[in-house]
Amino acid sequence: MENNATSNEYVRGTLKTIVLNLLAEHDRMYGYEITQEVKDRTGGAIALTFGALYPVLHKLEQEGLLVTESVEVDGRLRKYYSLTTPGNEAARNKTNDLERFLDAVRLLLAPKSLATE
Amino acid sequence: MKRLQENRIAQLSKYLQASKLDPELLPEILDHLACEAEERLWDGNSFQQAYDKIVADADLKTLHHLSVDHKNLLAMDKTLDDIVFEGRNKQYGAYQLRRGYGQTMQRSVLMGVTLFLLMVLLPNLYATLVPDKKPEDIRFEITLDRNIDIRPEPKPLPPPPVKEEAQPVEKTVKSVIPTVVPDEQVDVEYTPPVVEDLQTAKPGEVTQDGLVDVNVITAPSATVTSGNGLAVEVEPEKEKEYILVDQKPEFIGGNAAMGAFLQKHLRYPSQAIKASVQGRVFLEFTVGSDGKIENVKPIKGIGFGCDEEAARVVKLMPEWKPGKQAGTPVRVRFTLPIVFKMD
Repeated sequence: MENNATSNEYVRGTLKTIVLNLLAEHDRMYGYEITQEVKDRTGGAIALTFGALYPVLHKLEQEGLLVTESVEVDGRLRKYYSLTTPGNEAARNKTNDLERFLDAVRLLLAPKSLATE
Repeated sequence: MKRLQENRIAQLSKYLQASKLDPELLPEILDHLACEAEERLWDGNSFQQAYDKIVADADLKTLHHLSVDHKNLLAMDKTLDDIVFEGRNKQYGAYQLRRGYGQTMQRSVLMGVTLFLLMVLLPNLYATLVPDKKPEDIRFEITLDRNIDIRPEPKPLPPPPVKEEAQPVEKTVKSVIPTVVPDEQVDVEYTPPVVEDLQTAKPGEVTQDGLVDVNVITAPSATVTSGNGLAVEVEPEKEKEYILVDQKPEFIGGNAAMGAFLQKHLRYPSQAIKASVQGRVFLEFTVGSDGKIENVKPIKGIGFGCDEEAARVVKLMPEWKPGKQAGTPVRVRFTLPIVFKMD
């Protein structure tokens, strides 16, 4: 996990998009579920810390993109997040934006010789 | 499935509380850490191991960062009130008051304006809702299905004239006062009666034979005596107020008693004393047929409370002896001067 610090740096900018995208695929998710999902799908390459995740979730909720429902599970409150209609649109837009950005980054990162070929 | 027991959760909760985590975040982080702990238990670790690992991950510094991050991220939309009350006791009430200030003002202004308008417009509103009843308003219109004869009540017929009994005729001699007429019209045959004629006959219009000495005394008026027993005395009207009557109303006991009464009850008004006013107050009042005093009204006064005082005392007076007209007590309008004189 030595690359964790740098990966965190990239994650910070894309976290909103990742969360919205995951929620668009699932009906509703709770915080830990999201971190597990991210870990599983990336094979541990990206590890969301709760320190980064929850502020973003709350921010999205404040913006009206997410709604929450609290369910008591095993003696503790579990907060489930799901997308609102504007949240759905935001998820699609942001995913598209990120993809275009990644393409652009890829172009930048590719060796110049390859790009011109 | 391995689940955390409640005391384990409580242990985690206590740890988070001790770390001064934002209370808004706490239940969620608790759930997150609990899930993580369960995961580790699932992997075969003991709870103590899992707990240690979690505390190592979520050390105080990390949690503090989380709180700060969270706050900063949400702070972008904070209002001035939120910033002013940052880190202060928001439960105290001032925060609530301040946050609701705009709304409260809006509501109070609206209420004030409404109340004021209502007060101003209430008379008009009342007038439109409850219109005055006009005397010419017709309430009901009734159609009669039969004609009603409206005729004056038949007046009682006047008593039939009494037949005049044949009076014994007196012997009269034509004796008229001579008048001056032209010659051709002079009644030549007529000669005035001589003394001898008049001894046996009375002078009259014509010469007529009759009883020589009839001492007839005819009643003065046949109609008056010929009633059917009813007194035809003219009864004075009860309701009419007389000004001049046969017998004036009188204070029982006479003028001296009235003077004593007035002296006893009359108070010189302090205003009049100050202004050193004296004079006579003319009061007009009605003495009823029962002697009661009504309608007391000063007609000419001197002011400074004297008029009112005089009226008050007159109203206090006991019943008078009523005035009489044709022997019947009647209402009499009476004027009484009352003298205010300083010693």
